[in-house]
Amino acid sequence: MSELTIALPKGSLYEPSASALAAIGIETPSDPGRRLTMTSSDGSAELLLLRPTDVPAYVEFGAADCGIVGKDTLWESDRSVSEAVDLQFGACRLVVAARRSDRYHEGARYPTFLRVATKFKRMATQYFSERDIACEIIALHGSVELAPLVGLADAIVDLVATGSTLREHDMVVVDEIAVSTARFVLNPVAYRSKYAILSSLCERLQRSVAS
Amino acid sequence: MRLPPGVRDWLPQEFAFKQSVEDRIALVFDRWSYARIATPTFESYESLERGLGEKLMRQTFRFSDPLGEELALRTEMTTPIARVVSTRLRNASLPIRLSYIAPAYRYEEPQLGRMREFTQAGAELIGAAGADADAEALFMAIESLDAVGLSDAHFDINDSAIVDGALVALGLSAPTARLWKEAISVRNLVALDDLARSAAVEMERYALLRRSIVTRGTDDVLAIARELAPNPEAQAAIYRLERILARAAAIGFGARVAIDPALLRDLEYYTGFVFEGFLDDLGFSLCGGGRYDTLLPRFGYDVPAVGWMVGVERILLALERRHIDERRRREVDVFVVGSDRAAREERSRGQRVRVDVRGLDRTAAIAYARHKAIPRVLIARGEEIEEIFLDADEGSPS
Repeated sequence: MSELTIALPKGSLYEPSASALAAIGIETPSDPGRRLTMTSSDGSAELLLLRPTDVPAYVEFGAADCGIVGKDTLWESDRSVSEAVDLQFGACRLVVAARRSDRYHEGARYPTFLRVATKFKRMATQYFSERDIACEIIALHGSVELAPLVGLADAIVDLVATGSTLREHDMVVVDEIAVSTARFVLNPVAYRSKYAILSSLCERLQRSVAS
Repeated sequence: MRLPPGVRDWLPQEFAFKQSVEDRIALVFDRWSYARIATPTFESYESLERGLGEKLMRQTFRFSDPLGEELALRTEMTTPIARVVSTRLRNASLPIRLSYIAPAYRYEEPQLGRMREFTQAGAELIGAAGADADAEALFMAIESLDAVGLSDAHFDINDSAIVDGALVALGLSAPTARLWKEAISVRNLVALDDLARSAAVEMERYALLRRSIVTRGTDDVLAIARELAPNPEAQAAIYRLERILARAAAIGFGARVAIDPALLRDLEYYTGFVFEGFLDDLGFSLCGGGRYDTLLPRFGYDVPAVGWMVGVERILLALERRHIDERRRREVDVFVVGSDRAAREERSRGQRVRVDVRGLDRTAAIAYARHKAIPRVLIARGEEIEEIFLDADEGSPS
């Protein structure tokens, strides 16, 4: 048994997550393949390879002591984990976007009952209710930008990294809701019970990000 | 027939396991001279509401009786006890010590360690302020976990006056300080750094606050706290924590108690001292408590109070993971065939007796006892009673 269990996201965040850990001396295999668990080269940490959206649950229940996850995943989960370090990679913006021809980005008024397609139901609901905009949230799981093109929705709330997907579909950003980056998260009890290891890990990550 | 989510049955062996844990905790309550109390499972929402923070209010099962009175299931026991003390025990001399082991109800996503019906065991010390009362709550909690076999549990203590003092020293207004406290209570350092940037606080002082909430310890934490929160309330709180640590060390709990300045628990409920107990191998806390001096005043009785509670199911979970399981306790001591008098005598001697109701003959009775691992059989033969001992290991007559 390693003294520490770290939950890592598979997919696009894996490479930068592995580099962030490597920068503080926790080396991970470069190609995890289809493995679910692995041990860091120095044997100090057990690594769990998870779907990004599952990372908060593993950390909340203490199945992992800590983990790396995008802030965008934390927005939509009700998991209580401690956000210890902003790792600053994986940056993207959560925006309201719509077809250029609707001119919402130039101040055109939304329809009286706005239909919004999104994978980010909580954030979208909060954004529109704070602004007293009556709307119906249509929860989708992917290719959200298709919804306005086929008349399923008037607008979308989605993540934008470079903006190329929006441009391809002749859509524009109407408003920015929030910015997301990867976070190093902790199980609140593990921080206490494995205080020496985890506090030093956070400190090293924080320093490595700042440099 | 399916049960609704978040509730469960307790089959005989599971119930016996739970009962044995509750009995051990009840014994600790008794040894600390805390009288047991019970209150109704449901009462008027208006009364329970006085103890509810925003989150618990959303988690309350509410319903109305046929006349339209609004009722609710209790979400915890402290509020009902505050009601009882401030009404029916108003003339009792203070302090009052009460304990309970009872189910409570919350509407939440059922998951590991979180059910909609769950059992809380806890104790309240009402009408006493100060570190000695706080220490009593903490020590009882430690001894209760010891009593159920979890003597490796650790306990973090804190007093919210320290963070409050630090936020005042940073020059924050009350509504802003509230946001800061929320971030601190979940140790969200990323949010805290953002708040510090946007509030343009003095960076050196902020660095000290930040250091305090990532540090967990004893004297080192107290040293940071003294510098961090110079106001008299915080300094008094630091002195109280120091005193509790010293008393804990004096009875051998020193290595199990530390100060975590980020431990704030429910912000709307606790007013000073707080603590939490946890295990290395469980990702959530087992027990917790603290001082709630503003609750009884909400029932018109202006007295301070401190209390704590432990989740019984969480203890069971921890014990199961360690394979500490008392479920295999023998259920029946003796099997009696054909004699009410013998059965009654055995019961009065304190034996657990099973009486034959099927008219078994001698061979069948012995076979049944062997199958059920009952070590002794009594069979009536006219006026005589034949006593047969079965070897517990092999199940053969001896």
